Amino acid sequence: MDFDWLFLVEIFLAGLGAGGLYALTALAFVLIYKATRVVNLAIGEMLMIGAYLCFGLATAMNLPMWLAIVVAVIASGMAGAVLERVAIRPMLGESPIAVFMVTVGLASILVGVVELVWTSEPRRLPEFMPNTPVMIGEAFVPPKVFYGFLVAAALIAVALTVFRFWRGGVALRATASDQQTAYSMGINVPRVFSLSWTVAAMIAAIAGVIVGAVGGISSTMGVFGLSVLVVVIVGGLDSVLGALVAGLFIGVVESLAGGYLGGEYKLLATFLILIVVLMVRPYGLFGTHEIERL
Amino acid sequence: MRRTVLKSLLATAVMAATATMAGLPAAYAADKEIVIGGSIPMSGVFAFAGIGIHAGIQDYVRMVNDAGGVEGYRLRYVPEDSAYAVDQSVAAFKKITSQNKVNFYYGDSTAFSKTINPELERAGSMIMSGASFATELNDPEKFPFQFIAGPDYTQQFGILLRYIADEKPGARVAFVYSDTEFGRDPIASSREVAQSLGLEVAIEIMTPPGAVDVSTEMARLRRARADYTIFHGYILGPIPEFISQARQLRLDTQFMGTFWTMDNSTVMQMGELADGFMGVMPYSYYYDDSTSAPMLDKIREMRPEYQSVPYIQGFLSAMLYAETARRTIAAGQEMTAVNLKTALNSIENFDTGGLIGVPITISGNTIPVGRIYRADIQAKRMVPASDWIVLE
Repeated sequence: MDFDWLFLVEIFLAGLGAGGLYALTALAFVLIYKATRVVNLAIGEMLMIGAYLCFGLATAMNLPMWLAIVVAVIASGMAGAVLERVAIRPMLGESPIAVFMVTVGLASILVGVVELVWTSEPRRLPEFMPNTPVMIGEAFVPPKVFYGFLVAAALIAVALTVFRFWRGGVALRATASDQQTAYSMGINVPRVFSLSWTVAAMIAAIAGVIVGAVGGISSTMGVFGLSVLVVVIVGGLDSVLGALVAGLFIGVVESLAGGYLGGEYKLLATFLILIVVLMVRPYGLFGTHEIERL
Repeated sequence: MRRTVLKSLLATAVMAATATMAGLPAAYAADKEIVIGGSIPMSGVFAFAGIGIHAGIQDYVRMVNDAGGVEGYRLRYVPEDSAYAVDQSVAAFKKITSQNKVNFYYGDSTAFSKTINPELERAGSMIMSGASFATELNDPEKFPFQFIAGPDYTQQFGILLRYIADEKPGARVAFVYSDTEFGRDPIASSREVAQSLGLEVAIEIMTPPGAVDVSTEMARLRRARADYTIFHGYILGPIPEFISQARQLRLDTQFMGTFWTMDNSTVMQMGELADGFMGVMPYSYYYDDSTSAPMLDKIREMRPEYQSVPYIQGFLSAMLYAETARRTIAAGQEMTAVNLKTALNSIENFDTGGLIGVPITISGNTIPVGRIYRADIQAKRMVPASDWIVLE
C-alpha cells in the first residue's frame, strides 16, 4: 500500500496545533519562573480558572463571548496579582521546595473553588470560533485547532515583543538575570513579581479558553498543566525560546506517536523525551546551566 | 483527587443530617432494622453522580419507611462522603460497618469494589453494589457478595452491538475509548462479541486520559470508514470535539455512548452536536412516559424537577436491597451475605415499577438489560430508539 502522505501531513499539523497551546501555557510558566524562581505547579489550575470565569460570564451573566473572554482574562490577571501578593510573596526567601509546595496547595484550592462554584460536572464553553473546516492543501485542519494555533502564535509574538521593548519587560528580564543588581538599579522588584504573575495568569486564562473550547472544561482540566511541565523541563525552565520550541516539538511528537503507534504511546513518547533530555541536558534544551534543582 | 477537607466535612454533615431526617418515622424497634451503608462521592470529580445517587437511595428509603418498612423492619441509610478516593471510601466503610450492623453497602468505584472484596468475604454479613459497572465484577466466583444494578460495560457494548447488527448487518464499528481502567474495560471482550454478531471492528482508538485535542485520532477514525462509532470511558469531553470534526468532514458515522455519557444533562451540553447521538441506557429516563411506570410517577411526584440517571440507579439499588431483604426475612432466614445473595439471585421477572421497562431477572452479578436512546435536541430529551434489549 502506498504511504499515506496526507495522513502524515494532517497529524503533523494537528501536532503543531496542540504544540501551540503547550507553548502558550509554557510561556506563562516560564514568565513566573524567570521573574520569581517559583516552580508554579498550579499553572494548569490557573488555566482552568480562566476558562471557568469565561464560562460563568458567558452563561450565568449572558455576556457576549468576546466580552466574556476579555473580562475573564482581566479578572484572571487580577487574581494572579492577588495570589502572588497573598500566597507567594510571604514565601520570599523560603526554600524553593516550600514555595513549590505552596503552589501545589494553591492548585488544590483552585480545584476546590471551581467545584464549589460550578460543581464537578463537565461543561462546554459556548461555541465562539468559526465552524467551517480549514483546508491546507488537501489536509483537513479542525478550525478550533487552527484558530487556537493562530491566537497562540500571535500572543506569543506580542509577549516577546513587549518583553523586548517595553520598560516593564526590560525590568522583568533584568530581575531575572540578577535580582540584587536590579534592586540597586532602582527597579521595583516586588512590582516585577506582581507583574509576572499578572501577565502569566492572563496568558494562562487565554490558553484555558482555547483548551476549553477544544476539549471542554471540567475540574480535572488542570492535568493539561502536567504536559506543560514536561514542555518547560525539556525546553529549560527559564527559557522562553525553549518553551516555544519544546511546546511545538512535544506537540508534534505526541501526535506522530498517537497517529502511528496509538493513543497509548502518546505519553510514553513524551516522557521518554523527558528522560533523555534530563539525562543529556538536565537544565533543558535552552535553559541556564545553574538551575536550582528541587 | 484533590479536594478541600472542609468541603468533604461539610458534605458529610449535610448527608448525615438529611439521612437522619429520611429515617425519622422511627416507630420500629431499634433492632428491627435493615442498614444500608454507603461510600458516596458527594465531593470530588464524581460528585455530579454521587449527589444523584445519594438522593435516589434516600428517597427510596424514605418512601419504604413511610409505607411501613420491609416486613416490619425499618430501612436505615448511613452514608459518608468518599470524595471518590479509595482510601477515603475504605475509611468510610470501616467507620460505618464498625458502628452499625450493615446489611447492604453502596460503593463508589471499581477500585473500591475490588479493594473491599476480601473484607466483604471475611465479614460475611452484607452484600454490596455500587457505581461501578466493571466487567470484572461480573464474576460470582471472585465477587460472591457483590452485584451491579444494571448491565456491566461489556454487556452495555453487547446491547449496542446487538442493535447495530439488527439495523445494519455486517456494519463496520469503531471503538473509541480512554486509556483508563474504565475505558479499557469492555474493549477486548466486545471485539469477540462484535465478531460473533457478524460485525467488523474497523478500528480501536485509545485516547490518553485528559486528552484535549483529538485531531490525530480523528484522522485515524476518518480513514477507518466506520458505520458506527462507540465512545467509552468518557463523561463528556472529548466526545463533542470528535462529533464536531466529523460533521465538518461530513463523515457518515453514527456516534454512540455508554451509561456515564448518557445522562440527559450531559448529552444536552453538546448542544447542536448532540442531535442524533445514541447510546445505551439500562434505566428509564425521569421523563420517560412511553410505558406505564408507577415508580417514575412517584419519583416525579416527590421531585418535580428532572432527576439524573445516577439518581435512578441509586433508587433502583435501594429497591433491590429492600427486595432482597424482604425475601430473606420472608423465608425466615438470617440476613447473612450468603442468604442475601441467594435471595438476590432468586429475583426473577421482577417488576421495578418501570425503572427498567421489562421485568428483570438477576441470575448472576448483573442485570443484562438496556435500551437504545437517541437525543432529540428540539425536545431536549433522550427518546427511545429501540425496545428493551435483554441479553441472554
